Amino acid sequence: MASIELVQVTKVFDKTAVIDRLDLTIEDGSFTVLVGPSGCGKTTLLRMIAGLDLQTSGSVRIGGKDVSNLAPGQRGVAMVFQNYALYPTMSVRENIEFGLKNNKVKRSERIELVESISETVGLKDYLDRKPSTLSGGQRQRVALARAMVKKPAVFLMDEPLSNLDAKLRGQMRIELIELHKKLGVTFVYVTHDQVEAMSMADRIVLMNGGVIQQEAAPEVIYRQPGNQFTAQFMGVPPMNVYELGANGIKFGFRPEAALLSQSQTQSQSPETNLNTNTPQWSVRGTVATREMLGSETIYQIKSGDRSYMVKSADDQYAFDQEVQLRVDASRIFLFAADGSRLLESEPDYAGYMDRLRGQRHG
Amino acid sequence: MANRTTWDRIRPYVMIAPAMAGILTFVIYPMGYLIYLSFYKYNLMNRAKSKYVEFDNYKQIFTRGDFYKALGNTLVYTVGVVALTMILALLTALWLKRNTRLNAIIQGGIFIPHIVSIVSVSLVWLWMMEPSHGMLNALLRSLGIPPSHWLQSSRTALVSVIIVAVWQAIGYYALIISAALRNVSPSIYEAAALDNASRAKVFFRITLPLISPQLFFILVIMTIGSFKVFDIVQIMTGGGPNDATTTLVYYIYSYRTTNIGYAAASGVTLMAIIGLLTFVYFRLLSRKVHYQ
Amino acid sequence: MKRMEFNYGRWLGVILKIAMGLFFIFPFLWMLSTALQTLKETLSFPPVWIPASPQWDNFVRAMNGGPFAIYAKNSLIITGSIIVLQFLIMIPAAYAFAKYSFVGKPLFFGMTLLAFMIPTQVTFIPVYLLLADWGLIRTLWPQIIPFMTNAFGIFLLRQYFMQIPQELIESAKLDNATEFKLIWRIMIPMSRPALATIALFSFVSHWNDYFWPLVMTDSVSIRPLTLGIAALKETEGITNWHVIMAGNAVLVGPILVVYAFFSRQIVRAFVYSGIK
Repeated sequence: MASIELVQVTKVFDKTAVIDRLDLTIEDGSFTVLVGPSGCGKTTLLRMIAGLDLQTSGSVRIGGKDVSNLAPGQRGVAMVFQNYALYPTMSVRENIEFGLKNNKVKRSERIELVESISETVGLKDYLDRKPSTLSGGQRQRVALARAMVKKPAVFLMDEPLSNLDAKLRGQMRIELIELHKKLGVTFVYVTHDQVEAMSMADRIVLMNGGVIQQEAAPEVIYRQPGNQFTAQFMGVPPMNVYELGANGIKFGFRPEAALLSQSQTQSQSPETNLNTNTPQWSVRGTVATREMLGSETIYQIKSGDRSYMVKSADDQYAFDQEVQLRVDASRIFLFAADGSRLLESEPDYAGYMDRLRGQRHG
Repeated sequence: MANRTTWDRIRPYVMIAPAMAGILTFVIYPMGYLIYLSFYKYNLMNRAKSKYVEFDNYKQIFTRGDFYKALGNTLVYTVGVVALTMILALLTALWLKRNTRLNAIIQGGIFIPHIVSIVSVSLVWLWMMEPSHGMLNALLRSLGIPPSHWLQSSRTALVSVIIVAVWQAIGYYALIISAALRNVSPSIYEAAALDNASRAKVFFRITLPLISPQLFFILVIMTIGSFKVFDIVQIMTGGGPNDATTTLVYYIYSYRTTNIGYAAASGVTLMAIIGLLTFVYFRLLSRKVHYQ
Repeated sequence: MKRMEFNYGRWLGVILKIAMGLFFIFPFLWMLSTALQTLKETLSFPPVWIPASPQWDNFVRAMNGGPFAIYAKNSLIITGSIIVLQFLIMIPAAYAFAKYSFVGKPLFFGMTLLAFMIPTQVTFIPVYLLLADWGLIRTLWPQIIPFMTNAFGIFLLRQYFMQIPQELIESAKLDNATEFKLIWRIMIPMSRPALATIALFSFVSHWNDYFWPLVMTDSVSIRPLTLGIAALKETEGITNWHVIMAGNAVLVGPILVVYAFFSRQIVRAFVYSGIK
């Protein structure tokens, strides 16, 4: 069991600092997901925790102890790699055992550990097989078992699910959540997939350009994004963000926050009536594309030179149809010119909101 | 554990140290020593009597007919072996290109001479080329063709040696070329077929350029290999008759005990030729051949 | 096989291919035939293809033509020692070249390249003098230690090591494996094909070597088989071809037997070394 602290960590590759004086504390027992676009520094961060890359300056502490100069094998961490990195010439058993042998664990104890772990992950019948004879999911389990058997205080995972097909990935996500509950140790998980981050994490660290954009629980990140980058990175399709037309201020709303109705020139749809009392922003446009996903439908609504993505449970609108798009004022986000979020508490907020409503086309 | 980084820093050097020691002792130092020796009249029995003679050995080399004779023989041998092997190996490889059982067996068969010692190969051919009772002349006689003196005439000896060398080399190079041919993606040929390309065009515009890196590699290896030819000559002809088959290395070999300084100067010349060839080849390589 | 049409072109091709194969094997068959003939048979015209009664005695006579037990023993010791020594030196060097970056690496790698290019025919005189200075000339060492660094092997193995994913090494480091264990348990098992190629290559080239033992040895007791067989030419004069061919068959035999069993692996190894 251990918390992880990165203190003023800097990593320089080829004279460019990919991470510059970064501070981060990962709580003991948390399931923390480092997420961000490729090249954002999340993997570098993970590798510095593991000791595979050494930080240029700053320190790494695991469980309160400075491990900055410890070899990877002595930090009490285990890692699951994207391609699993199973030793191809060793059997499943030898793969799981390798770390124990290196740590001079007694034979009897080793056998017991391997047996119990392989039972947990459902590999008992495959112990004497070579990794090349296993399926992708089974290999994934071997990689997990190999990490678990060392009873690490910290579990590091570098996009461990990206080589699996969609169905298996969903299943493994649930298994990882259960595993985390059962082991109760710190999980640090790197991914570029925000769905994975949202579904598994109890804490998300969103990074971009080597800088932490926001660090919070998934629901907070989603509902209260700290800045425009966070708002647009989390969520599919991403948040619609456009210029307000004053002081570089931008406004945005999530696709599912928009309500569609038939254009006012035609009949009123019932749902719009429900919201007539609350302040709204609305715009008229035409359906440019329509993706029917099953329980919901994603529309692209063209209005002037802007297009808005709308996610709706209603699939009645057809291509080229004229529609009215409305968003409750409470579900509109404002961002300052530098991308930071403009909160309701700020003095200019109401003024900008009024200005936005004044722009209604219709 | 505090020393981890120090040890990390020296570990690569420790790991390559034995290998580098071997190269320094048995390649680099000898090269230097060879150059050093080439400026001396070296006395094997009494080194104190060795004498610095400046460029005398080199002057001697470039004024002596037998050196030019050896150099000329080596050049003829190299050009003959490289050209013949290259063409015949390429044709063989094209012929045996398809991955069938028969082709695999034949390739396995023609490869045998390459893994057998050059001593054995030389002795077998020496016997077959024996003028009065040898197999080849018996064959010629029964076909009504006048027999040849093969290795025993200064007119035919070098050609005979070339025949044996080519015979030994074809299998290996055909193998490499046909492996290269099989590496060419079939879809390229399919595309060419759809473009209605003729067979000759396919060969010269597609096949040949695509395998040119391998052909080039073979060219380099074979040229350098041919320049240092020795064994076959030593066993089959002993450089004779009348120095007709004395090659550069054989020349150096024959002076190795009697005149070390002179042999060393000849060795330096050989080294320079090989170095120059390698250099020229790699300059060409960087300019011409890159499809991979 | 619906139509039993006889395809002349195809069969002509097959026959020509077999003829070509024979062209390369025939000399060895002829060697074997001669080795079993009498002197009279070898001198006859037209040549005798199959000896009337096989003269096994020729082999006895050839083997009595020199200390062949010693030659064979020397050949085995020399090739065996070279391969062991080369492996001990080559593996760590190839690993360092493949997986570390260190100051001077291009220089050291360049030295290896140079060693690959410079033939023994250039260096034999100084190496002989050096080994004579060390007092080793009357031992087997001069035929072993100059080959301790296998530059070709280092290239090939380095290439192979570089293809092994970095994650495997990192994984082993997280499993607290020492560098030695990492090489022994992961790198070596994963490079078996390359190591087999190198060993095979080394075996064939040193077992067959003629030039180096010729210039390094001056006494019978340290000579290998190749020199012993070549010497038969001198001792048996220029007429006793049946005895020389018998000796020659003894030299070729082991290689051909090995080749018969492992021809596919050997062919693959040679192709591999030629393409890389």
